[in-house]
Amino acid sequence: MTRLKSSLLACAAFIAITQPAAAEALPQQNDSYYIAAAKQLEAALARKPIEGKAKNVILFVGDGMSVPTVTAARILEGQKRGVDGESNNLTIDLFPFVALAKTYSHDGQVSDSAPTATAMTTGIKTKNDIIGLNQNAMYKDCEGSKDKHVTTAFELAEAAGLATGVVSTARITHATPAAAYAHVANRDWEDDAQMKDQKGKGCLDIADQLVNWGAGDGFEVALGGGRQHFLPKETADPEDEGKTGTRTDGRNLTEEWTKKSNNNIFVWNGADFAKIDLTSGPKILGLFDRSHMEFEADRAKDKAGEPSLAEMTALAIDRLSQNDKGYILMVEGGRIDHAHHNGNAARALEDTLAFDQAVKTALEKTKREDTLIIVTADHSHAMTINGYPKRGNPILGVAVDVDGEVMKGGDGIPYTTLAYANGPGAVFKPLAEGQTSPEPAGIRPDPSATDTTDINYLQQAIVPLASETHAGDDVAVYAWGPQAHLMQGTVEQNYIYHVIAHAMGLNAGM
Amino acid sequence: MLAAALSNMPSAMAAAATLAFNELYVRGTEPTEKTRSLAGKLVTMQGFMAPPLKAEADFFVLTKMPMAVCPFCDSTMDWPDDIVLVLTDGLVDIQPFTASITVEGVLSIGFRKEVETGFVSFVRLESARFWRN
Repeated sequence: MTRLKSSLLACAAFIAITQPAAAEALPQQNDSYYIAAAKQLEAALARKPIEGKAKNVILFVGDGMSVPTVTAARILEGQKRGVDGESNNLTIDLFPFVALAKTYSHDGQVSDSAPTATAMTTGIKTKNDIIGLNQNAMYKDCEGSKDKHVTTAFELAEAAGLATGVVSTARITHATPAAAYAHVANRDWEDDAQMKDQKGKGCLDIADQLVNWGAGDGFEVALGGGRQHFLPKETADPEDEGKTGTRTDGRNLTEEWTKKSNNNIFVWNGADFAKIDLTSGPKILGLFDRSHMEFEADRAKDKAGEPSLAEMTALAIDRLSQNDKGYILMVEGGRIDHAHHNGNAARALEDTLAFDQAVKTALEKTKREDTLIIVTADHSHAMTINGYPKRGNPILGVAVDVDGEVMKGGDGIPYTTLAYANGPGAVFKPLAEGQTSPEPAGIRPDPSATDTTDINYLQQAIVPLASETHAGDDVAVYAWGPQAHLMQGTVEQNYIYHVIAHAMGLNAGM
Repeated sequence: MLAAALSNMPSAMAAAATLAFNELYVRGTEPTEKTRSLAGKLVTMQGFMAPPLKAEADFFVLTKMPMAVCPFCDSTMDWPDDIVLVLTDGLVDIQPFTASITVEGVLSIGFRKEVETGFVSFVRLESARFWRN
């Protein structure tokens, strides 16, 4: 952060505040908002694009980190520090170049993470639930998928001798990180057991594809959750008593990883992570949970201890930087999405702040001159920010207006600032088992009767759904470093790949 | 109605201490001092009723967040680490998994396997009743 801010200020220092030569003093000239925005203009005028090649690229994906999520997280972060939340800046708010990306998929107005991540890693749009295959692939069709593979930027980087890494707080076999290395007709094929009737037809599950990735010399770093998909069901999980792996082929992929060389290591807990010695340039597989890693709000209570996303990012950068040719790294804040699916804004915002910390770490450990950092979301979520709470109103609270009055809906009942269009927090009841017609709506519960700032609180929603859905609105793409200026306007999500490949020279000659 | 059925109001005895999910554990399954101190006592906890295995049962699982899918019914699903087994004295009046409920019961801690169901739990509320929030 320090480097980012000083860089912006240094640029601004060369430019005097511009005023028309004979202009009359404006009445608002000394207004603090006016002055602050004028300084923002100075910085923009002084901004010089970095035209050179990017030696390194880090693609940060906040899974489900919609624009309202960023706004709400920014406010929460400020309020937690006791400063003005609305004008607060997260690290990503200070990025110089921003675009909006259209996130629809080949067959979906609203996408899941498989085609959106594929768009960013391969430059094409494909169908929902499909990873690393083109639009002609059919969902769950192994046989037909074999000639539909598309090449990822990570595979191109490996072919060029660069280092590669994937980091996620979700299972490392989950759709977003999988789009760096996997080619599957169903995002759920995380291990062989989940392939069911498609098993044995010549397609590999996602965990297998990670460990036995054929690109270059494979990943230098893969850190996340999802241990169950790497262990056979006969093998006890090292952390969770009474639990085992889920593979049915008897293979222990963590052992396959460590047998690849004397310098391939596997870690599964926080203590061993902290002891990793990078001196010899090990290839590191870290799987810190059977399934997804903990939400940031729950991480401190994890039995075996888990590194933060920022700590994993730091280790990945340190390791990948050992390659003089450069590297490409994906870092996913994977659980922002999951908290939203739960209709639980507090955890979504806390995970967004942890994600922002990881971005800050990356800025501190890299140089703007040679490292392109792109921060984006794969898709939006159905959370919105209701009007009209007063400035400084707790972002997780009930809306209170500028006169200090609790705001009420047309039903005479207060409402929270954050709410969902659908999901588990719905005020209308879902059908019970065997029930065919819905119950009368009844009266909307009064949120002011409960602590809406509690970490477990579910914001109210309209449509009752077991899992809140993704949303179809555009997502922001923030860019920093070489060729970052190419990120402007409204772009297709698959454009992100093209900027990455262009910046690194991966598609030279095409 | 039996004690397990949905109650309309909290206990009039007002003797129950409140225990939140976030207060259950220090780390992993290491209980907090508060959890230890309340063992054997009447406590209330807020949470959600996980979808039950069968319609007529004298127990259910209380979770801090709604569980859309019943881990009893889907072997690929995992229970969260911090579930609470609620044992009732009569048949449970099943609630939608998204309905916030308060459960009042006697707190019991330590690993235990239920004889009838084989369900393993660490935290239980026994002789419990509950009401919608």
